[in-house]
This record gives sequence, C-alpha cells and structure tokens, in this order.
Amino acid sequence: MRRAASAGPRVALVVCALVVLWLLACAVAPGLVAPGDPLAIHPLQGFEPPSLAHWFGTDESGRDVFTRVVHGAGPSLLIGVAATAIGIVLGVALGTLAGLGPRWLDFGTSRLLEVLFAFPGLLLALLFIVIYGPGITTSTVAVGLATAPGYARIVRSQMLAVRGAPYIEAEVVLGRPPLWRFRRSILPNVAGTLFVLVTLGVGQSIVWASSLSYLGLGAKPPTAEWGAMLSAGRTYIDSAWWLTFFPGLVIVASAAAATVLGRTIQGRVRGS
Amino acid sequence: MPVRPVIRSTIIAFATAGALALSLAACTPQSSTGAGSSDSPVRGGTLTYASGDAEPTCLDPHVGGNYPQALVATQYLEELVSKNTKGQIIPWLATKWTESKDGLSWDFTLRDGVKFTDGTPLDAAAVKANVAHIQDPATGSSTGYLALGKVASTEIVSPRVIRFTLSQPDSALLESLTQPWLAIESPAALKRSKDVNCAHPVGTGPFIVKQWKKQDSITLVRNAGYTSPPADAAHHGPAYLSKIVWRFIPDSATRYAALKAGEVDVIDNAQPDTIVAAHKTKSLTELNAPRPGASNRIELNSGKAPFNDEKVREAFIRAADVNDGIKTLFFGTAKRSYSALSSVEPLGYSEPGLFGYEPKKANELLDAAGYTTRDADGYRTKDGTRLTVVFPVSTNQSIPAEQSLFEQIQATTKKVGFDVKLEPMDLSSWYAALAKNDYDAVSAPYTKVGPDVLRILYDSASITPAPSGYFANLAQVDIPSLDATLEKAAQVSDVAERSALYETAQKTILEGYYILPLYDQQNHYLLRNDVVGLRALPSVSTPLFYDTWLDR
Repeated sequence: MRRAASAGPRVALVVCALVVLWLLACAVAPGLVAPGDPLAIHPLQGFEPPSLAHWFGTDESGRDVFTRVVHGAGPSLLIGVAATAIGIVLGVALGTLAGLGPRWLDFGTSRLLEVLFAFPGLLLALLFIVIYGPGITTSTVAVGLATAPGYARIVRSQMLAVRGAPYIEAEVVLGRPPLWRFRRSILPNVAGTLFVLVTLGVGQSIVWASSLSYLGLGAKPPTAEWGAMLSAGRTYIDSAWWLTFFPGLVIVASAAAATVLGRTIQGRVRGS
Repeated sequence: MPVRPVIRSTIIAFATAGALALSLAACTPQSSTGAGSSDSPVRGGTLTYASGDAEPTCLDPHVGGNYPQALVATQYLEELVSKNTKGQIIPWLATKWTESKDGLSWDFTLRDGVKFTDGTPLDAAAVKANVAHIQDPATGSSTGYLALGKVASTEIVSPRVIRFTLSQPDSALLESLTQPWLAIESPAALKRSKDVNCAHPVGTGPFIVKQWKKQDSITLVRNAGYTSPPADAAHHGPAYLSKIVWRFIPDSATRYAALKAGEVDVIDNAQPDTIVAAHKTKSLTELNAPRPGASNRIELNSGKAPFNDEKVREAFIRAADVNDGIKTLFFGTAKRSYSALSSVEPLGYSEPGLFGYEPKKANELLDAAGYTTRDADGYRTKDGTRLTVVFPVSTNQSIPAEQSLFEQIQATTKKVGFDVKLEPMDLSSWYAALAKNDYDAVSAPYTKVGPDVLRILYDSASITPAPSGYFANLAQVDIPSLDATLEKAAQVSDVAERSALYETAQKTILEGYYILPLYDQQNHYLLRNDVVGLRALPSVSTPLFYDTWLDR
C-alpha cells in the first residue's frame, strides 16, 4: 500500500516540500523574500485589504502583513525547532535511561513519565511560564519540556525493542563493551525513528509556540511572530479578516507540511 | 459641556418624527426622561450585561476604588447627591445641604424613610459610619479616601442631619460626593468582616447583590422596597427589570459577538471598529458617555531618569506621532485631546501647540540633554546607558486600539532614539509595577467629577501612596507653586477666580511636558435596540439600569 505510487500523494509531497523550502528561505533570508521592514508603521494606511501593493493587506498600524508573515517565519520556526530539540534531547536521555538501564531505573523513570503524562502538555508549558515569566526563551523551553515525556516513551520502547534484537545478543556474546554497543548498534537503529519524530515534532511545536504567543505568553507585540499577529488581529476579526487569515494560514501550512513530510519519511523508514 | 448621550436612534426619531410620529413608537430614544416612548414600560425580565473591564476584587467601592467597581456598584449603592446633565448638583440620598459662610462646615439633610436592603434605616449615624469606613486605613480606600481628604470630622446634628467639618474649604466637596466611590452603605453591613462586605455590600440602590460567581458573573436582583431614585430619574418605585446578570467577557471581539447574537443585551468598552459596525446594524445602538475628570494621557515619570530632565520629556512628546494613529485606529470615534482634563469638564484648558510632531526638534533636545551617542541598535545612549522608557500597559484598561497606538508611539519615538519597552500586563501586576516605581511612562485613567482631579493627580502629596498602596501622581510632578495653586483653587468658590487658577495649574502641567494627552477616556456602550431607558449617570458616566426595561 505504501508503495502505491498514485499521483495525489506525490503532488501533495511536492507541495509540502515547496512550502517547507519557502519557509526555510523566509527564515534564513527574509529580506530577500520581502525586502520591507516588518515593524515600519504607516498610521494613515491602516486596515487596507489585500491588494497588489500589499498582498496580504495592512494591519492596524499600516504595517505590511505579507512582510510580517515572512519575517515571522524566522522566530516561529526557530521556536519550533529549538523546542523540538530540547524535547528530543531530554526525551532521548530519559528514554535511554529507562530502556537500557537496570530494571529499577526503568521503573522509576517510567512512573515519572506517567506522572508527567497526567498533565496535558500545554498545561505543563503554562505552569513553567507562570514560574519563569513570559517571553520567547521561556515559551521555547516550556514547549520543549512539555513534549519531552512523549519522546521519552517512544525512545524507551525503541530501545527495549533493539536491546532484545538477536544482533545485539550476538554482540554481547562477542564481548563488545556496552558503550560500543550503544554507539555502533543501538543508536543508529533508533536514529531513523528519531528523525521522523523530529520532523513531526517541529510542526507540533510551531502550533504550540504560536498558541503561547497568541495567549500573550510568548513573543511580545509588535514582534513579527505568527501567534502574536493572530492575537493582535483577533480584535478586528469582524472588520479586517486578513489580519488573522494569513498568519493562521502559514501556521496551518507549516505544521501540515512538516507533518506530511514526517509521515512520508516515516513510511520510507518502515518500508526499507 | 455636560455629558449628553448621543444616540443614533434619537437622531432618526427626530428627523422623521413629523411624518411618522406614531410608527416610531418602537424606536425609543435612550434618554433619562424616556420622552418619545408611547409604550408603557414592561416590568420584569432579565438583562445581561457584559463588561470588558477587569472583574473587581471587591464589590464595595470604598475599598480601593476603581472604575470597574463603580460600574457595577451604581446598580446597588447610592450617593448623597448626584449631578444632572446640565452639570448641576441635585438631591439623592440628601434632600438639601447648606454650607457655612467660612466654607468649613456643611450640613446635609437626609431623605426620610429610606432603608438599606438589610432593613437598617438611613440616618445621620449611617453617613458618619461610612465616612469613618472610607477614612479608616484598614479599609484600604484610595479614590474615596483622597476625595474626603479635607473632611476632618462628622457630627450627628439630628437623626436626619449630618454635619461635615472640613480642615479647609473644599469647592469640590459636592462633586466628590456624587461619585460611586463615596456611596452610602449599610452601617450594620460595614461592621461585618471585609471579605463578607466585599462579596455582599448592602446599600439602598434599586438592585441587590444576590450572588457573585468569581471569574464568571454577578447576579443582581430587584430591590422590591426601593424608594430613593435620584432627582432626575424617569420614574418612582422599584426598578422595571427583575434581574441583571453582570458578566465579564474580557475579549472585545467575543463581547461584541455575544451582543450581536443576542446572548447579552449591553456591552461596555466597545472597540472603535465595532462601534462603526454597530452603527450599520439595525438591532444595535450606541451610548457614548465620555468619562469626566482627566483625559486619557501618557504620564512621564519625572521622578527618575530619563524623564527627570524636562528636555527629554519634551523630546519624547515631540517625537511621538499621535494624530495619524488616532485617526486610523479609532475610526473617527475619538477626538485628539490637548488637555489634562476631559472635554466634559468646563474648566479644561487645551494647548495644541505644545504637542506637535517635530522629530527634528526632538533630536536637538536629546543632543542638548546629553544623549549624543547611538548604540548598535540605533538607540541613543548617555554615559553608556541606553535611553530606555519602561512602559507598563494594563491590558484591562487599555483597549487593543490604544495598545496599538502605544506601539505606534514606540515606533515613531524609536526614530529619534528612544527605546520604549511596552510591557502588557494584567491589572494587579500593573498596580504592582507602579507601586515599585518600575515605570517611566504609563497611561492610567483617573475618573473624578470636576477639575479637582488635577489636585489628586498632580499635587506632590499624591506621590505618597494612599492606604491601598496606589499613588495618583504617576508623573511624580513636584512643584511647590503648582501645589499652592491647586490648593487655592480647591478652596475658592468664586467661579472666575477658580477657573483662572485651574488654567494656571494646567498650563504648568502642560508646559512642563509632564503628560502627553491622547483623547477623552473612551466610554462607549453598545446595546440591543429593545433595551429601553438606559442612561449613563452624569456623575462618572456609569450606566444606571433603574429606568431600563426590555421591549420584547
């Protein structure tokens, strides 16, 4: 089934790849995609609907929404990637401890993870922000921490599966030291899954980080950041739809593209 | 100019009255008299009000004393006197009053036969207990405490006559007493613990606090034994509505959507874009009632660097482009102010020439003030310190359009090298930041009837916190001659002399570049067309639902 090469999924994949490439271009060189200043205000040109001069319209202070969306890609993606990195590193550490450590350590770590699972991820992130104050850094760390338990559990089960595999048993018989086994055999076998998790995680983290900014807990106005733009535009949802539509669109597009790519890679990894 | 609610339906009614007088019966103007309505008021029904102001932490407006408390307390508490739309003081719980020749003694005669809703009679002892409650530091009053600053003692002359003895003449005493923060509560109820009284204050008003579900709503029910409407009310006896559900919906878009859907009947703090939209919606009308007292202005903290230097203050004001922003963000619903006082205050003094947008002059002033170097980000520095302006913004008090205006001021003042740090925060964090002197600029609404608000806001004594911990002189203006002028103005009753003194005081404040006036304190209510007879009390423009009924 996964090999069925119908045209639909191909097109979707290409579109997603293009979206991701475009986002990366925006993140790396926003000035090339949209040369304007995302913070430049033109008070008398506020609330202009989309036009040739302003593709995505202008916001309440006359700032160009397209420029802001493009320049917002950097912070939004950075928060997504950084949060995922934090989550994965913590998840791998905890998952490895549980999966490869002695039974009592596995027991302890697993119970800790279950307790963390009892809290919805976003709640955990909110708690962290309440303690350390709002801002881009704290919201990134908060999202990272909140996603860590999920990763840890997957990594643990992968570790357990690989640990019991015949080729590892063979290495034990051959007398390879534990660290060598971890580095040469276990980690490479888990890496494929991890890569898929990262791709899927970035999409999710972008959504979460945007949610936090939307709630006023992440990037502060007037920073060009998708969640913050959505939050500022919400007030005018009745009179100026473009203020929320375009930031919302890129959040959905980036999360969807990252997820579709992740699933495809997942399929490849399983298929090979 | 007195507060005069301008209502679209009124205008329509007048325009077409000649031809269609009878058919317009359903389109009743929202006025204090209810004139124009040929329908007889419907008794009963529940009205749902949605407030965008912060939920009060205490329903007794003696405690602290802010506008959210005044809004809801207007429904269940009453004052000694009130104000009509012509600006005259009219009887309420007091039927008459006399001032001694030296202005140091005032006798108020109380209305006969009025009872608090717990059965306690309204008498001179009750008024005495209320003044004592407001002046007791343990109450933690700010607004009421400052307004009664000159009341040295009270004396029971007879059960129905109370005497206020003042330390100095107070030309603002009657205006102060019209405010909800000086409402008269049941003395028996005041004896209960603070927590209990905060949850269930007891007054003489047309409604009674039945239940307060925190973070959700306050339920008010009709006071069936009500006998004490103000002199300008449209009817006598109990209120028409049997119940008011007072909800809190902080998000303005949600609040407007709820009104449009008919889920709520009245909303406050309407957004400019929704006011314009409501004008085009048949089922909705607007009640515009700018608040008296101070204008909405940005106060520059002259108590510490960088704004302790007048040149830097002037530079900030010259560098802030305000007019274009107001034009776009407020859709024509707000007019630029150049005064420290609200446009409804007859003694307000404007000086537009001081507030022109002149970035070139701003740059010169900053050079002269010693901020001659710029750092890598383009901000000016002096001795290695960046020209930073910490600006805490209360998201409960500043509507999104105002917050956007602040962002624009941030952007325009950046051009000359100011680093304005906007810090949106909730009301309690905002109060805390001010108490810690952790701000350089702030926009703090202050509502008080009459120009005496200038004394509250700009007398050096107001830098000292009131018992609630709040201090009103946020610009930290400390000028002995200004103190003297304001003190004198508050004592003289001669109209010409008083207005000359207030003009001098306002000139000092404006010309010292302590404030950047923006516009009147916006106070727009939107209501469904079938809500009849709603008016804003001319005292502090809070809505009063006593004469209101539902035409459905």
